[in-house]
Amino acid sequence: MISPAQQFPYLQRDPSLAIASQAPMLPLMLIGRNNVAASGLVDSGAAVNVLPYTLGLQLGFDWATQTKSVELSGNLSSIEARVIVVSAVIGDFAPVRQAFAWAKTDSVLVILGQVNFFLEFDVCFFRSRSVFEVRPKG
Amino acid sequence: MSLAEVLPELQSLSRVDKIRVIQFLAQALERDEDALIEPGQSYPVWSPDRAFSAAATLLKELEIDKGSA
Repeated sequence: MISPAQQFPYLQRDPSLAIASQAPMLPLMLIGRNNVAASGLVDSGAAVNVLPYTLGLQLGFDWATQTKSVELSGNLSSIEARVIVVSAVIGDFAPVRQAFAWAKTDSVLVILGQVNFFLEFDVCFFRSRSVFEVRPKG
Repeated sequence: MSLAEVLPELQSLSRVDKIRVIQFLAQALERDEDALIEPGQSYPVWSPDRAFSAAATLLKELEIDKGSA
């Protein structure tokens, strides 16, 4: 049975740029050793999920003990990153395990990319209406 | 004011004024489109769009995570 989709609004990220800065920002709860409420950019162009450094610390991770490194690309190509896996709760959906490339920078936002956000959720974008819909995979 | 209300008035304009209306609307449309992406502004693109090796590592880690659950 296919779960019903939940709809979320596009959010304005820069008031000076108004509609040009609207982006599909998904509210979610990340569950590590601590729970942290966050907002992630739903980015189908990103190969991986990305987590900023401070958020990883807030979740209770220690950089020194996360030894599995990964290499990022794009604007993040020079940034060191390590793998972490946490649970994520989105809307009323059941928690899912999400792997993140934990970047050693706070200049990036939470990015929800192909691995493995898009492997777990089907997403429809309705940019002209400034909304997007998310549902767990069928 | 709706298009249906404006059209009869536009049709009554002289040829020169009709051309002025076209120019006015074309410029207004161009301004609207320009406003979407402002010159001089920074538009960062953070997507790690070619991080396929990282994606493969994350998938492996998820398999390990699943096995340990």
